[in-house]
Amino acid sequence: MIPSLGNFTLWLSLLFAIFQFLISHKKNFYSVLQFNKIAVNGLLFCSLVSFFSLMYCHIISDFSVINVFQNSHTTKPLLYKISGVWGSHEGSMLLWILVLTIFNYFIFKLYNQKNIIFISKTLETQAIITIGFLLFIILTSNPFDRMTSSHTNGLGFNPLLQDPALAIHPPLLYIGYVGFSAAFSFSVAAMSIDVEEKIPWYSYLKPFVLAAWIFLSAGIAFGSIWAYYELGWGGWWFWDPVENASFMPWLLGTALVHSLITVEKRKSLQSWVLLLSILSFLLSVIGTFLVRSGILTSVHTFALDPARGIYILTFVALLGGYSLILFGFKSKNFLNRHYFSFFSREGSILVNNIIMIVVCASVFLGTIYPLLIEIFSNNKISVGEPYFNSVTIPIMIPAILVMGMGPMLSWGKVDVIGILTKSLPSILLAAVISSIFFWIYRSYNMLGLAGIILAFWIISNILLTTIQQLIVKNKEVTQENLPKYSIGMIIAHLGVALLILGITGSSIWQKEKIIRMKVNDETSIHNYNIVFKGISEVTGPNYVALQGNFWVYNNKKNIITKLKPENRFYPVTNNSTTEASIHTNLARDLYVVLGDGDINEGWIVRIYYNPLVIWIWIGAFAIFSGGLFSMKNNLKKLKRLSI
Amino acid sequence: MKKKILISPIILFFLILLVFFYLLIIDRNPSELPSVLINKKVPTFEAKSLLENKTFISSNEFGNETTLVNFFATWCKPCLDEHPYLKKLSNEKGLKIIGINYKDDSKRAIKWLEKLGNPYSSVLVDPNARLGIDWGVYGLPETFIINSNAVIKYRLVGPITKKNYDAFVLKVKQVEK
Repeated sequence: MIPSLGNFTLWLSLLFAIFQFLISHKKNFYSVLQFNKIAVNGLLFCSLVSFFSLMYCHIISDFSVINVFQNSHTTKPLLYKISGVWGSHEGSMLLWILVLTIFNYFIFKLYNQKNIIFISKTLETQAIITIGFLLFIILTSNPFDRMTSSHTNGLGFNPLLQDPALAIHPPLLYIGYVGFSAAFSFSVAAMSIDVEEKIPWYSYLKPFVLAAWIFLSAGIAFGSIWAYYELGWGGWWFWDPVENASFMPWLLGTALVHSLITVEKRKSLQSWVLLLSILSFLLSVIGTFLVRSGILTSVHTFALDPARGIYILTFVALLGGYSLILFGFKSKNFLNRHYFSFFSREGSILVNNIIMIVVCASVFLGTIYPLLIEIFSNNKISVGEPYFNSVTIPIMIPAILVMGMGPMLSWGKVDVIGILTKSLPSILLAAVISSIFFWIYRSYNMLGLAGIILAFWIISNILLTTIQQLIVKNKEVTQENLPKYSIGMIIAHLGVALLILGITGSSIWQKEKIIRMKVNDETSIHNYNIVFKGISEVTGPNYVALQGNFWVYNNKKNIITKLKPENRFYPVTNNSTTEASIHTNLARDLYVVLGDGDINEGWIVRIYYNPLVIWIWIGAFAIFSGGLFSMKNNLKKLKRLSI
Repeated sequence: MKKKILISPIILFFLILLVFFYLLIIDRNPSELPSVLINKKVPTFEAKSLLENKTFISSNEFGNETTLVNFFATWCKPCLDEHPYLKKLSNEKGLKIIGINYKDDSKRAIKWLEKLGNPYSSVLVDPNARLGIDWGVYGLPETFIINSNAVIKYRLVGPITKKNYDAFVLKVKQVEK
């Protein structure tokens, strides 16, 4: 009954989406508004019902549904039954549709007398995207397909995915990907409507781009946290094709968030922003294609099906073809002769954009390079961490240097000497803090040095500009040319600085120890003594586990913590996973993984001393909250527009 | 002139899509990697040894007994999981294993082997993936089984683990026959 309802509402969503597409080009304001109201609300309602029907099937373990049968099991805890909805390919596409219709609803809410044609055009494009994905799900991966035979239990699930960080990771990521669909539609709409109609399309674009970018950042962060805790490899980023698929739109999103400021303030870079918006969404969908079609293998084991690949690719070809041809013909209307100097705020933003694009292109090349080589030379090669690290890090360094300076520069003005005197205090402050840091840690390494100095360079700049801002406020001076700093920018940039600090610390000064330990053996890593106290069996809701008990002492022989890494075995799927046990403080993580072994031979134990890891997560959170602040301001601006 | 640049995105875009389409249409399964090297003699090569100060010449080393060639690196995390099973193959089955340290930092590799134990009869360095290209290596780790006539009989992409260990030993036995 419920699966049929889900299936029915899925088809009904398709009808509403087609309806929305058909009526959006009507010119009469009231009829468009009324009809679109029906279409948008109907679409939202139907996809909600459809989504929650599938969730219901998962919760009650309705194994007559193939999707539930293949991906669930009665022993699975409730939280993971719910997250299991988007743990499979079919369910995740349904979530994609739901997010798409929610964004669709928000776009509809922007309707007013002045922007009628613009919003209608946006909704029309949005409807095309929705129809495309709905047809994809209905034709190739319907989550409500039924079983012909009946089963009392499901096949199980991937135990690696049974993790709280991963339960929330896909929804966040999809809000990000789908958010770019709104940017795409707005851009297409901006290029399609008559030029005489002056619509500040960029102000409509910005909150959506910000939302997409914020949630994509959070989604990537949660994915990394999951990889860090669950994979037991001591690291948190592996340049896996799937990670790259989310990282590339994020890079373009970062470029977009910045260049939109320039468009808003100075009206320059308009055609550039249009292109970026189109590309970010196309890359999101191409990322989905790479993962779901199975032309690249990765840790994300979605069922492989070439038919799906061909469908998504055709769809991308249509969307990309349409939007980029439109761009080829119409974007010249958005070109302007508004040149600006390199040493201006726009200049720094342009540098940021160019670097983000270059990094994105490098990552893209690295991701598809094995495929290219295979076609042209019949050889198979692998591109791994060495390539990505050695290519992206040197390109990023100038971006970070500029990032410290950029916010201090004025719009459009050239004052090289002024800039130098302005940045002198931050250079000094960064030098002082970095020296203190190295005096404490006493570890020197070129890359480490660069990372730490860059992090403190940004922090110093932020500190000084904030202080400056506060002084100005107190004096109630209103100078016209003094750049204003938004609180969102300050928090987000601070987040990037902390992120760099964490990345540098954890990758340069990581210490790793792999040894075989018997009970009561002792080992040491960076001033800590670790004693293997024993091993015991524990049972979880749907697994049994061997749990090691490690006591950690500092060099004064005081006990710091007891770490209990687990080696879990899931009988349903005959899989085992490792659960790292981690002790975190602001300076470092101690990370213990229990490997294979037995009572006679001892167990293989991997111990990592990971400095400053927590700052990666704190940094990511700061970037997220900075984005939220900025979005709040932009929504206010948008509200003012509609009055 | 400037306006013509505006159509370049679309051209680039369709070129990339063309590649993807081609890959989808040709019959290929990325997890199954047939090697053109199967049933061919091992490539002849020479390489520096990691642990000793001498040069390894392939023609002297293959052809007397069944030998495994294992590509590994310290940056490759699955290699770590694979390591105990290589040791098992070397200690329990007495197999000769030649390790090729692929695109790696030699100092780290030596430390790694000191820590984990060395299952290899010789370890060669392949700093710029020259050997990897000769052998058609796709992703690390990869293991090849070479029979006593120096012919490559089997290729495993990915680590030897608890799951496929027995199957792998079986393959070795088939090659030995």
